Amino acid sequence: MPRRILESIQDFLKGIEQSFREQSTEYVEFELRELENVFALLLMGSFVGLPSPPTTLTMRLLPHMARELYVMQRRAEDMDDILGELAGLFDIT
Amino acid sequence: MREYLLPKKDYRVLFVIGKGGVGKTTTSASIAVALAEKRYKTLIVSLDPAHNLGDVFMTKLGDRPKKLAENLYASELDMEKLIKGYLEHLEKNLKHTYRYLTVINLDKYFEVLRYSPGIEEYATLEAIRDILMKGDEWDVIVFDTPPTGLTLRVLALPKISLIWADKLIDVRRKILEKRAAIANIQGPLKFKAGEEEAELPTEESRDEVMNELKKYRSEVQFVDGVITDPEKTSVVAVMNPEALPLYETIRARDTLKKFRVPFRLIVVNKVINVSGEIPELKVKLDAQKKVLEQIKGEFRGVEVLKIPMFAEEPRGMEWLKRLGGMIVGD
Repeated sequence: MPRRILESIQDFLKGIEQSFREQSTEYVEFELRELENVFALLLMGSFVGLPSPPTTLTMRLLPHMARELYVMQRRAEDMDDILGELAGLFDIT
Repeated sequence: MREYLLPKKDYRVLFVIGKGGVGKTTTSASIAVALAEKRYKTLIVSLDPAHNLGDVFMTKLGDRPKKLAENLYASELDMEKLIKGYLEHLEKNLKHTYRYLTVINLDKYFEVLRYSPGIEEYATLEAIRDILMKGDEWDVIVFDTPPTGLTLRVLALPKISLIWADKLIDVRRKILEKRAAIANIQGPLKFKAGEEEAELPTEESRDEVMNELKKYRSEVQFVDGVITDPEKTSVVAVMNPEALPLYETIRARDTLKKFRVPFRLIVVNKVINVSGEIPELKVKLDAQKKVLEQIKGEFRGVEVLKIPMFAEEPRGMEWLKRLGGMIVGD
């Protein structure tokens, strides 16, 4: 019984630690996603009418950009709720 | 001899530019023939989609350099074939890499790229880069170019590409820094796409995108280094003594100056010389005289060479040798 309690306390503390870790990187993660989105958009600018960099470069980088393309697509899908995401991030309710 | 047409440092690159129909191909072919005669191993390449280099040499030319005479090699690049081949190779490559990524509709991305503006310029630049990379095989490389507009855009591309590469490297560096900061706290970052899970790189040396960007930058830097080096590259403009080719040459000069590409010689082709008065030609001759005077005032620091209008079309080796001798000098 005491062992169970100890494990529970350990799990609880781990959870708190994890939550702190996540909170501490939340803003940086948001910034990272934005940068990844911007990077993909810079290369794929022709989709949204932005001036594009050399097409050769876009084509050469494309095979390595799975992550950025994924983020860009997610961003485009969630576009209508960008204010919601920002509000959540800054705890505005 | 005009020193700026001869190899000085490793090899010499000559771009012969001008408006359509002024005699670019004949001029570039003559220069190549004359230089080959002077024992410089010379390659002449036509980048013009509407090739007529083969017509001037009166032989059939292809993608690979064909030996036409001692020290003289010529080729005509099929730009359409080049673009098609390039895109096909890339499509195959991309579909192979992305075979697991069903979340991304790759065809849609690819269609946009296929029709993206400027693909012809980039393909031309790639072709030039490939030839310059093997530049040491030759003493002189003469490029017979498409009409001025496209050529100037191609020559401007390395500088523009460098700016883009630098900006993208900056953004990429920031991405990697943020990733590293998060990974320090949370451990390695994972990204799951479809069935496969991959670790996101946080170091520059392990990031494929950064490596490719740096590789691209150094390739573009190499082309830029060659085409802006006065000891390696000279641009020769060909024009007729008429107002429109003059305006185009002035515009070309200004653009080349902006991108620091050395502009050295203007060949004024088809200058009419008549003795006595011919009333039917008076208007034409007056216009010619006016343009020749304007050239004198407009282009300081650039040599101007007048080539007379010949009684017959200068085709075939003998004619080319004669004309080339006049341009290269003795």
